[in-house]
Amino acid sequence: MTVNDSNRPCRLLIIDDEPIVGKRLQQVFTKIGFEVEIFTSGPPALESMAKHPFDIVVTDLKMAGMDGIEVLARVRAMNPEARVIIITGYAQPETASDAFERGVFEFIVKPFRLDQLKDVIIRAMADRELCRSRLNQDR
Amino acid sequence: MFFLFDKLRHLFSAGRPPLPVVGGQPHPARLVFDKFRRVLAANNRSLEIIADMGEKLSGHFIFDQHYIETTAAELIQAVRHSIDCLQELCNGQFQELYDVHARLSDQICSLLEGREDRIGPTLLNLRQATPEHWAIVGGKNAHLAEMTANSTVTVPEGFVITTCMYHALVDHNELRALLDSFESRLADLKSTDIELEMLAKQLNAGILSASAPPGFLDEMAEHLQRLLDGAQVPIFLAIRSSAQEEDLDYSFAGQFQSILGVAPRSDLVFKAYLEVVASLFGPKALQYRRRLFPGEGKMSIAACCQRMIDAEISGIVHSVNPAEPGGRTMIIAGAWGQGEMVVEGMSPTDTFHLLNEEEPTIIKRIITEKPLGRFLSPLGQLTTQAIDPEQRSRPCLTDDQLLALARVARHLENFFKRPQDIEWAFDRTGDLYILQSRPLVLRQEAETRKTLPAALKGYEILAAGRGLIAQQGIGVGPVHLVDLHDSLDDFPEGAVLVSRRDSSQFVRVMHRTAAIITEVGTPVSHMATLCREMQVPCLVNVTGIADLVKEGEEITLDAEDLLIYRGRVTELLAYRASTTLNVSESREFRLLRRLLNHTARLHLLDPLWDDFAPKNCRTFHDILRFVHETAVIKLVSIGKDDHRLLRRHLARPLDLPIPAGILAIDIGGGLAETAPETAVPFRDVTSVPFKAILRGMLFPGVWHRATMPVGFKDLMNSMLRTPGDALNGQYIGHNIAVISANYVNLSFRFGYHFNLIDAHCDSFSRDNHIYFRFLGGATDLTKRSRRAQLIAIILKAFDFTVRTKGDLVIGRLGNIPQSEIERMLDILGRLIGFTRQIDVLMENDLAAERYAEAFLNGMYEVISN
Repeated sequence: MTVNDSNRPCRLLIIDDEPIVGKRLQQVFTKIGFEVEIFTSGPPALESMAKHPFDIVVTDLKMAGMDGIEVLARVRAMNPEARVIIITGYAQPETASDAFERGVFEFIVKPFRLDQLKDVIIRAMADRELCRSRLNQDR
Repeated sequence: MFFLFDKLRHLFSAGRPPLPVVGGQPHPARLVFDKFRRVLAANNRSLEIIADMGEKLSGHFIFDQHYIETTAAELIQAVRHSIDCLQELCNGQFQELYDVHARLSDQICSLLEGREDRIGPTLLNLRQATPEHWAIVGGKNAHLAEMTANSTVTVPEGFVITTCMYHALVDHNELRALLDSFESRLADLKSTDIELEMLAKQLNAGILSASAPPGFLDEMAEHLQRLLDGAQVPIFLAIRSSAQEEDLDYSFAGQFQSILGVAPRSDLVFKAYLEVVASLFGPKALQYRRRLFPGEGKMSIAACCQRMIDAEISGIVHSVNPAEPGGRTMIIAGAWGQGEMVVEGMSPTDTFHLLNEEEPTIIKRIITEKPLGRFLSPLGQLTTQAIDPEQRSRPCLTDDQLLALARVARHLENFFKRPQDIEWAFDRTGDLYILQSRPLVLRQEAETRKTLPAALKGYEILAAGRGLIAQQGIGVGPVHLVDLHDSLDDFPEGAVLVSRRDSSQFVRVMHRTAAIITEVGTPVSHMATLCREMQVPCLVNVTGIADLVKEGEEITLDAEDLLIYRGRVTELLAYRASTTLNVSESREFRLLRRLLNHTARLHLLDPLWDDFAPKNCRTFHDILRFVHETAVIKLVSIGKDDHRLLRRHLARPLDLPIPAGILAIDIGGGLAETAPETAVPFRDVTSVPFKAILRGMLFPGVWHRATMPVGFKDLMNSMLRTPGDALNGQYIGHNIAVISANYVNLSFRFGYHFNLIDAHCDSFSRDNHIYFRFLGGATDLTKRSRRAQLIAIILKAFDFTVRTKGDLVIGRLGNIPQSEIERMLDILGRLIGFTRQIDVLMENDLAAERYAEAFLNGMYEVISN
């Protein structure tokens, strides 16, 4: 099981307006022990996040209404510890650099291999734990 | 996105661009090379896009509709560019290609706009339905057609009324406007039930009173006659629905009307068909659609007209016991008469548990009193009849019947690569028919899923993180180690195929394998493509696996997380049986697969085949093949003008230790810069693929110098035929090699036979290919054909895809790593030398096999001896 520091399953939030992406990622990450919730738009996903925080958020970039950049901004404001990964089929260098300035953990271009995303998520988990332990030491 | 396709359509519907102005002078040779290079580059780009799409189907990628649309648009433009480049090279000789391109582009646009269910025949025999028809026959019929093509099972014969007929019916009866309005309301989540029901009611009534489009009833009468022709007794039909998504993502169980006992008369079948179609707008189906496809309005329906089986016993098999999803037990339920009683739970049934193993065993029988049964009357009606008292409490199935059913269920589970829910019937003569087979989806509690990662820790892992995924999935079975030259005839049902190399020959047993693991190979090989088509879980490049496993030991492959376990991992099997999302059947995968049907399949093989013409191009790959071959012919034809080329040192003779007489035309990087202008030595050849062929030709013992004993008949034969007859004079002249650093096109004329190798070879496996062609000879056709047989045997042994026709052999190989391509070209070099005059020795049929064996064993001197 994939767990975080408090030994509870790692919670993964996936937002993509094409249902196949969420369904597929849920299947893959549940199998290796993540707790996964999927949404096809930003607002209900953030509502869920407000109730029960997530460790990692994977969001599509281009969505009607709230786009991935806005999701990123809101997640960062709500829960700075959560790591946000943007996946997109519309890769523009400017958007990527904008996203990095706003604190995205990684920017992945669709189509991608599942192990690519797995690697990024594992790195994001490690990064999150590292920041936490540093924070605890400072205290 | 659709504006993109509008634009593309607009761009290509115009078809042909204006003809370029053709000058009187032939192009200077340098310019021709340059144009040829551009054709190659354009074709490679198009082929790369096709390969990229194919790879996405492994299940290991996340892609979406956007990817499919942009890639399709890119491909349409790339293929168009290939044609443009060919036209540049050939002075606009092939304007017709633009029309073909426009037609295929239009089909692709229709596909992406969800209109592909309108393209194709309105009636189709189940035997004729192939994957390219899946969109128009619907999900359930696709399964039936797949089983019809499978010789292990028997499916009642029948035909499909396709979705094309559904659209024709709507248009002919002027229901299109009403349907459009209904579909757009259905797609709108805000529409109320009342307004939808009103429109649905109108459509329902409109369909029920619809008339048949002209000619349709006659055409159907022919299909019915064909069914009658093969029947011994009066037959009746069952008319059942097959919606596009039916039995794929969703079962639609019982949502649409089925009409049973229909007499085989065109008007009666049509009436029953209308009832089936009208049920698409019935209240039950409407609610089901709203619930399962919120926001989706479009759905079309096909129907299947099948002979009804006069069933004595019927029932269901679950190839896995739902109570223990990872276990080895299967369940068979049956009762007297037709299957309705069992399917609808109308009467008590007998239940049997069997162990799902290579030789199944019966482990439990629960026999009940079965007082009633439904039977087909001589008038085609289904009537409920009382069962004879002494028969009621007898088991409805004998042990032999149970075992036969278990074997079929086991086979279908392997065939469809998932647990199956199968409907079957034994008729009164004791023949077993399979009426339906659909994926068996089991519920697994969320809690059980959470414990999966922990449970997996208890198993011994043989390999982790090794290899590349050719096709995702989970498979379990006993190991069967396969050597490349092994016969696959006795491959055990349900085994895991483990091999050192990958091979497209494995296709022969893919319907029986649980999984495939190879030590070398790439996810873009022909075998990998076949694994994706047939849904075989497959890992390639798993170094050392053949030494880690023993023949016959059971292993579990998880080709999703790159894990191979020793033993049977029941939790993974339970997980497989409980995943509702069968990703390969999702809308996006199906769309991409259909797109590949229109683009990647190759029908046009060789200029020597009769159908090699622009009008016969059925896919983009066909166009690319035509473009490539035509460009090569154009280029080689300038080789005829030896003087022009030799004088300007554009074609340079090679100086080899054997008298092969080759002129090399270097179009870039094929010869060393310091190479002399005449008599180029072997060491100055820098073209990787060409050098590999020459290495083979120069291999000791290959280039035999003995004079063949040509008989009088052979001599007469060679004198009566001129080589030009065979090839319309295209290749008369020197042996010519068109080369670049990574490319070779070598055309040989040795005496009376023609040999051609076209190959690309670089570090990117996906681009690599070898195309080999051999034709002719000095002897009579029998001997020449035997030599063709010999060459075919050798090529097949090296895993080429081979086709032969008389004395013509064509072999293809592709998507393999550079080292393998080089090795194969070396072998072909040896083959060229070895078979040069061998037709003279082909005295009988055995000779072909004997000499092929000698070649495979490296005994090249056998010819001189």
